Amino acid sequence: MGCYRFGLSFLALSAILVLGARELSGQARIISLAATSAADLSLVITSGAIQTIAGVTDNAVNNFPSPVVIQTTWSVNPGQTNTVDLVAYFLLPAQALVGASTQIPSSRVLARMSSGLPTTFTPINQNAFAGVGTAGGSLRLYSAAINGSNKNSSRTDNLDLQLDLVGFPTLPAGGYTGVLNLRVITQ
Amino acid sequence: MHDLLKNALLGTTALLLAGSSAASAQVGLTSNVATVALTATKAATLTVSPNASTATLASITDNSTANNFTAVSLTTAWNLTAGSSVRLVGWFATPAQALVNGTDLIPSSKVEGRVGAAAYAPFSSAAVGGVGVAGGSLQLFSQAVGSGSYFGSRTDQLDLRLNLTGTTTMAGDYTGTLNLQAVVQ
Repeated sequence: MGCYRFGLSFLALSAILVLGARELSGQARIISLAATSAADLSLVITSGAIQTIAGVTDNAVNNFPSPVVIQTTWSVNPGQTNTVDLVAYFLLPAQALVGASTQIPSSRVLARMSSGLPTTFTPINQNAFAGVGTAGGSLRLYSAAINGSNKNSSRTDNLDLQLDLVGFPTLPAGGYTGVLNLRVITQ
Repeated sequence: MHDLLKNALLGTTALLLAGSSAASAQVGLTSNVATVALTATKAATLTVSPNASTATLASITDNSTANNFTAVSLTTAWNLTAGSSVRLVGWFATPAQALVNGTDLIPSSKVEGRVGAAAYAPFSSAAVGGVGVAGGSLQLFSQAVGSGSYFGSRTDQLDLRLNLTGTTTMAGDYTGTLNLQAVVQ
């Protein structure tokens, strides 16, 4: 709507200027100027990028040891961006953590962000958000509304993770590894 | 005049299009992907669980092997990452004093055990894989394991008896402790 009003005003102004100039010099040229500052959106894990549980306990909730500290920085146009959203996801939901013969699905990996949307531990088994993530292996962690006061801003959040093995078959001994992806998207 | 108005319209249209393009570019803008490496380790386990902590023999018969204790069921469970066998070992801490009645002693060589259809054998062997004591131990089974069977269990009935052939005991109650422990080899 703003762009439309601006266009009409500019159109009228252009017409007036051109008409006026015609009377003075009989010649006018319009040079349309447009400069775009590219939006910026970045994500950094400042600590906790490696999470290790040394001794998993079967049929219990196992806490990963420390929070993942996530810093998001953005520079966006509030007239063109409603929200900035952080999404966590596993590429293969059925194989969030992989062992020699057994896989742990993403529904067994729980996440909590006290400053975000899942304020209690929630399985990472939801659908992608706005094209970011995977079906059944994602979880939106926060949604920050953008306005004039925070168009250039950043935030830091703690992500807590758990491995919920309650009711899960006894794990064969060994190591289980996986990668949790984090990505921010504007809406 | 007409041309000038046309130019003004074109310029304005261009600006509108440029603005529209910028607006659409900021919806769905994505950041870099940051990753968290997750590792969870399940430690290897090996357990032996008897269904009873006491085996009794109500009345000793001297000079006989007919001295059977009540049977004990043992469940051995393993969850391993390596090894070729799981072995169950029974042993007495002091072989010369497997069962004690004051100063009257029955050595471990007079106590015999077996699982399944195996023959009775005395608890008088060496330790196995560091489990047991010299002269007071007996390997009760050896279960082969491998990559396809690192996670398993078995349940056995442990039969125990006193072999008092050639032996006369003093009257009284004899008590002792048989230790059971599994080891991976």
